[in-house]
Amino acid sequence: MTVYTITQLTKRFGSRTVLNIPNLTIEDGRIYALLGPNGAGKTTLLNILGLLDAPTSGQVHYLGKPVRFNEVQLQVLRKEVVMVDQHPILFSTTVFKNLEFGLKIRRIAKKERERIIEETLDLVDMRSFIRAQAHRLSGGETQRVALARGLALSPKVFLCDEPTASVDAENQTTIMNILRRINADKKITVLFTTHDRSRAADLTHHTLVLDNGRLIPTAYENVVSGRLFRNGQRQYRCRIRENISLAFTHYHSEVDNQRVRIFIDPEMVIPTEIVELSKDSNRTQGRVVQIMSENGKIRMVVDIGFRLTLLISRDDYEKTRPLVGGNVGVYIPPDAIRVIG
Amino acid sequence: MDLLIDSFISAILLVVSLDAEMIAIVGVSLKVSCASTFFAALIGVPVGFAVAFSEFSGKHMIITVLNTLLALPTVVIGLFVYAFVSRRGIFGPLDLLYTQKAIIVGQIILIVPVVAAFTIVAISRIDERYRKTAMTLGANRLQTAWILFREARFGIVAAVIAAFGRVISEVGISMMLGGNIKGFTRTMTTAMALEYDKGAFTLAVALGIVLLGLSFGMNLLFHFFQGRTHS
Repeated sequence: MTVYTITQLTKRFGSRTVLNIPNLTIEDGRIYALLGPNGAGKTTLLNILGLLDAPTSGQVHYLGKPVRFNEVQLQVLRKEVVMVDQHPILFSTTVFKNLEFGLKIRRIAKKERERIIEETLDLVDMRSFIRAQAHRLSGGETQRVALARGLALSPKVFLCDEPTASVDAENQTTIMNILRRINADKKITVLFTTHDRSRAADLTHHTLVLDNGRLIPTAYENVVSGRLFRNGQRQYRCRIRENISLAFTHYHSEVDNQRVRIFIDPEMVIPTEIVELSKDSNRTQGRVVQIMSENGKIRMVVDIGFRLTLLISRDDYEKTRPLVGGNVGVYIPPDAIRVIG
Repeated sequence: MDLLIDSFISAILLVVSLDAEMIAIVGVSLKVSCASTFFAALIGVPVGFAVAFSEFSGKHMIITVLNTLLALPTVVIGLFVYAFVSRRGIFGPLDLLYTQKAIIVGQIILIVPVVAAFTIVAISRIDERYRKTAMTLGANRLQTAWILFREARFGIVAAVIAAFGRVISEVGISMMLGGNIKGFTRTMTTAMALEYDKGAFTLAVALGIVLLGLSFGMNLLFHFFQGRTHS
């Protein structure tokens, strides 16, 4: 089942378009990570999905029905969609009353409210703070209570804006485990924004990447700026650095010497033996700065003047066996390059 | 200098001995000021809250007008209300002039802008995330307003205390609309003015000490609640 279907959505603040999404669907019971640099439009999209802000144009369907963004309809729908802010604020009362607020609104009986609050605080490991004053909690505790306050309402959709951005490593893991558990146990659709690509890859079923308000088909990595030059009929080169100039074909433009952003597909980049550097062969070399295992593959980051990520099979890795700190050659096939803006 | 020292010593003794006349005057002052503050809060808090919570054209104009009214001289209000409650005024038949009710009406006009303006400030200072949080938890407009009100409660109490401080120490309205009638409309400030006219300083200084004590207490409370707002 589809929870959200978005078509031709735009959001403008004054003359500036901050979101422009032709199509997007969010499936029920899945975990989505929304990646992107600062100012990409992540929070704006989350506010629209959280029914807290209306788009400037376009359609949002929730569970197959069009959202009209009028106050009467929104109040009904908001009872199913809960959003937790990047820096959540707790009401200046006890933890218990913070969790009780949404339950009271939903007219849940007192005994039932108490049971839900205790269970939810157990889930986030904050039961012992039930009578504590909310403003005395630490950043990580506040984040967990804020999550519990939303989860106590058993929403269909749970939206979190950078849930791990302002907490320590231990709390980050705890929060990610909570999101995983509520998705697995309660089948709640979870969508969260993050900068942490590897954490997103660990947890999510789908990764969405926003860049300048547009969804881009990348994993928020290997996006670099360069200057585009025409190189004959349907042949282009993108000069990224003085010594890096990549040829590609998937593009059509009459303009020469134009500034562009390109995406290099990490799954298509090939590690090679160290070869003689050639400006025109899409081959270069660099120092390996990171190697890690990810979903049965090997993620390798190579510094070639910028950080280039490769996502390769174990077999491909075995062929060259590069070590962190060592040098490795890379071949970037023309097909791996796409112009995204 | 001797006059001042003698008056001060006598005034202290008067305060300590809880002089009956002084207590009666303080009683009238407190009764009138508490009543006017109560009714001004009933009007000013909702007005201030509504202005701060809503978005409408002319909002800034209303805030500017309220801020201007903060500087309204008490004698102007006294004159204005007098025109309505004197025998020739439209409320003349109600016989309000030179009664505590007339003072209360005048003082309400004086401090409604104070309560409303300070309430607007208190609500405006509330973090916008409270509104967003209440909405995402499913609150309707009224429930969201209640959350904002709760979070601004210390600021609103501070607004009411500031208003009380304004009326307990005003003299123009009490004199013009109350008439300074002994045991009935004689407040601390009008009694002090009268004693000064008579050249008798003891009661005036004693009332001054009580008034300063009250003002000090009000300021302590005001800063306590202001502090709670900021913490």
